[in-house]
Amino acid sequence: MKRALSAGLGAAWRCRALVAFLWAANLAMSALLAVPLATVLERDLREKESAAQMARGFDYPWWSRWSDQQKGWTAAFKPDILGVGFAFRNTELLLNGRLPVGAFATGGKEMAPPDIDVDGVILGLGAAYMLLQVFFSGGILGALRGPRSSLTARGFAHGCGFYFGRMLRVAGVALLLDGAWFWLNAPLAAWANRIAQDAVSETTALAWSYGRHAFLLAGLLAIHGLAGYARAILVLEDRKSALLAFVSALGFCVRRFGAAAGQYLAIAALSLLALGSWTLVDGAVPVTGWATQLLAFALMQAFVLARVGLRLALLGGQLELYRGGR
Amino acid sequence: MTARARWAATVVFASLLGGALLAPGGNADAPKTAPRLPELQAPYPLPPLPPQSPRNANYTIEARLDPATQTIDGSLVLEWRNLGDVPIETFPFHLYWNAFRNNLSSTARGDGTRAARFKSDRDYGFMKIKRIVLLGEPEVDLTRGLRFLAPDDQNGADRTIGGVTAPRAIPPGATARFRIEWTARIPYGALGRAGWIHDYYFVVQWFPKIGVFRKDRWNAHQFHSQGEFFSDYGNYDVTLTLPQGFVVGATGTSEPARNNPDGTQTVRFRQDDVHDFAWTASRRFLERRSRFEEAGYAPVDIRLLLQPEHEHLAERYLRATEVALRSYGTWAAPYPYGHITVVDPAWFSASGGMEYPTLFTGGTHVQAPIELQSPETVTVHEAGHQFWYGLVGTNEFEEAWLDEGLNDYAEAKALELFYGPMGLGRRYFGGKESRGRQRGWPVVAPGVSIGRGEQSLSDLRRLGERDPMVRNSWEFENADVYTLNAYRKPALVYQTLEGLVGDETMTRILRTWSHRYQFEHPTTRDFIATVNEVTGQDWTWFFDETFYSSGLCDYAVVVQEEPRRRATGYVDGPPGDRNTPTPAITMAKGMPDDGLTETTVTVRRLGAVRMPVEIVVELADGRVVRESWDGRDRWARFRYDGPKVQRVSVDPDHKLAIDVDPSNNTWRREEGLARQAAWKWSARFLFWLQNLLELHTVLG
Repeated sequence: MKRALSAGLGAAWRCRALVAFLWAANLAMSALLAVPLATVLERDLREKESAAQMARGFDYPWWSRWSDQQKGWTAAFKPDILGVGFAFRNTELLLNGRLPVGAFATGGKEMAPPDIDVDGVILGLGAAYMLLQVFFSGGILGALRGPRSSLTARGFAHGCGFYFGRMLRVAGVALLLDGAWFWLNAPLAAWANRIAQDAVSETTALAWSYGRHAFLLAGLLAIHGLAGYARAILVLEDRKSALLAFVSALGFCVRRFGAAAGQYLAIAALSLLALGSWTLVDGAVPVTGWATQLLAFALMQAFVLARVGLRLALLGGQLELYRGGR
Repeated sequence: MTARARWAATVVFASLLGGALLAPGGNADAPKTAPRLPELQAPYPLPPLPPQSPRNANYTIEARLDPATQTIDGSLVLEWRNLGDVPIETFPFHLYWNAFRNNLSSTARGDGTRAARFKSDRDYGFMKIKRIVLLGEPEVDLTRGLRFLAPDDQNGADRTIGGVTAPRAIPPGATARFRIEWTARIPYGALGRAGWIHDYYFVVQWFPKIGVFRKDRWNAHQFHSQGEFFSDYGNYDVTLTLPQGFVVGATGTSEPARNNPDGTQTVRFRQDDVHDFAWTASRRFLERRSRFEEAGYAPVDIRLLLQPEHEHLAERYLRATEVALRSYGTWAAPYPYGHITVVDPAWFSASGGMEYPTLFTGGTHVQAPIELQSPETVTVHEAGHQFWYGLVGTNEFEEAWLDEGLNDYAEAKALELFYGPMGLGRRYFGGKESRGRQRGWPVVAPGVSIGRGEQSLSDLRRLGERDPMVRNSWEFENADVYTLNAYRKPALVYQTLEGLVGDETMTRILRTWSHRYQFEHPTTRDFIATVNEVTGQDWTWFFDETFYSSGLCDYAVVVQEEPRRRATGYVDGPPGDRNTPTPAITMAKGMPDDGLTETTVTVRRLGAVRMPVEIVVELADGRVVRESWDGRDRWARFRYDGPKVQRVSVDPDHKLAIDVDPSNNTWRREEGLARQAAWKWSARFLFWLQNLLELHTVLG
């Protein structure tokens, strides 16, 4: 496991240009909405005292009025994304089946948190991003498995194109499995919710609530892990069937459960570490002017970069683990 | 360090960091600075406080709880004195638990989180009068004449008011004595204010209670999902029998419980000069006690009945109760009863956040970051009801703004004084509690705080024009509109009144109100009269614009600038001489720009509500000009010729808390701050979106 982790981190470092490229793609797609939002915000704040307050801190009355007037995707700008809140909000969206494009939203109104829905434009962008990453994944795996000299733009593009169909099928199978997991989980979640409501103490109720969310998340992450091995198998063994690749991935993970789970959890722990570090540093940087604003932006981008890097490290480690454990 | 040790260290560090990251934010210490409250001793005369209430509805009750069947069997003797001017022979009694009798009741047909929505058999409850007798000579059994009344909505299936007619009228000043025997099934506690959950019993509105006779008519409304209660003052002597092992809390003080041979205990509570009696029992209650002692105030014993999982929040409950006793005691009149019971409701009970004489319920979460001010908010609010609802007995059915609104206003003021602005947070991964509230892991948004009244403006914008504030509770369009007009809008109106008359005068108004009407049933007219009396002015216009209006208040400012106009065309030339006394007319050719401007400041009234406003204009040469406008027209224009205007502020002291959009009240010369702020916050949005997009890779 440790060797796979080290190899994965090493591969991600070796492919840092690719990491930077993926980060840039992520930034560019997000900017498609963030830049217009800046225009919308600036227009509303112009010649208002709230501009000064928003530049220094957060003007709740202004935001409240502005937010009430928003109808589309701009309404997603809420203070609950500040600090570590973004991670909670995104995870809540994931666990309520809102990703991608609301495909797995199974819970009834009774269980859904308030304001859970995100505008279709944002969800559509997310789906497009997912498709783009599926396209990139062949190129990424091609780059990760080879020596450093093999990482060329042309090679990456070739890998993307060559494996796209297979990667698309893997993504399709993964989404089907995710859907099945959400579907299977729905009655379980409802049952756990009823038990939580009937619990004697709030602590018990919370344990059931957190537990059912953790269980759902664990299943999704397991499918994600399997999908990674399925991709690795398709590339390493030049196989074509995504379904059989999943079966092989499952067999491999069962055989090498400790190593596969360990490597995945280690990457997850590193992601949490990155999130924690970012939260601590971000909280210590009060944004009061352009300079601190740039610093905060750099910190945010460093976190996203780290996150993309860890994604590649996971894939690289899975490649290494599978290669060594066949 | 070996590789294994390095790994271990990494894992430990990650765990610690993760723990820090996931721990609910906030520290448990409340602000330490002493808030500014007015002196308890008023430097002006106040109406004398009455020594006691009218005591015209006195109850002696004996009741037995049977947890096996979730029933209560009781009998009571009511001594009721006619305070009216006419003889009375019909008597209405509230039978509140019949709201849970079936899905045909008015409460079940209602709207909002208090509406009875039955999901299983355990949810139903009822109250049945077995026998009602008019005592005296001769005793008359009135049971057969019992009829159900529905004065509010003519719902024939609603049985929340039962009326009887006596064969002899009770003349003014005379006393009637009734003996009533009844049985009741307790509804499940996730549904209404009263109910049972596991071994937690919250027993309120539980006995047949007589209506209020005032202005020569009965005031007895059905039990609705919107609105609360109204009853007369009296003395209560209540004896309860229930299984041993239960910790019991109730209105009043008790004698030590007496254990009975059959495994039950009997406990007797007594309380004078209150208008209701509530009790609770649970085997799980932890008991904590504190004593509020402060110069000028009568000491108050605080008894906290707490859920075990909330033990770490006991101090916060107790401190918040003290905050209410101290601040409301100053703003109204000191709390007179000497004891108060705070009940932390059981998990999933809907009994939280309710007020009863000398007893109230709070409500909180295991994870309770101080920034979110829970349990503080609900505790201060419900403890505050002891003053407005408890001591000043306004009609919650008909004029909720007099207790809920006034209380919301004072609660926000007390919280701001003692705890500072509230943070903004959200709970994750928890699901819903009873009454639809969200439970789960609390995450506080760093750097975001909500000032007094600010949270209510969104509802006011959204719903403010649906109904005027002055309406019967059950007649508002829906529960959200009721909540706005019972709580949020009146709180903002009182805050605005405070802004206009000043804090000191507002305190005097509230003190006069609270002293004059202690143990009475004043109305909105009495409140307005009190305001007029204390201020020495007629404020009727203010209440017409707020209480009796569904309009919104919104003032905005628009600034237009142009370079100072230099004359072109014919102008006066140099002065003439003796032969031509008038100035010569010459042709002006224009002058170079001298950097001065002509500025037009237009203040607009965008809403229907008219309020006087002040305008502060800051000029580039450092001068500050204050203007005032009665706010009655749709707009007013002010012109400034010379130095540039740097900043304009309408209502600069934020007196108009009801202004639904404070952000359009100021104009500020643009210096790039809008762009800076826009990019700052877009960057945060970008970051959120980047992570959301990246999260998609977990699925595909």
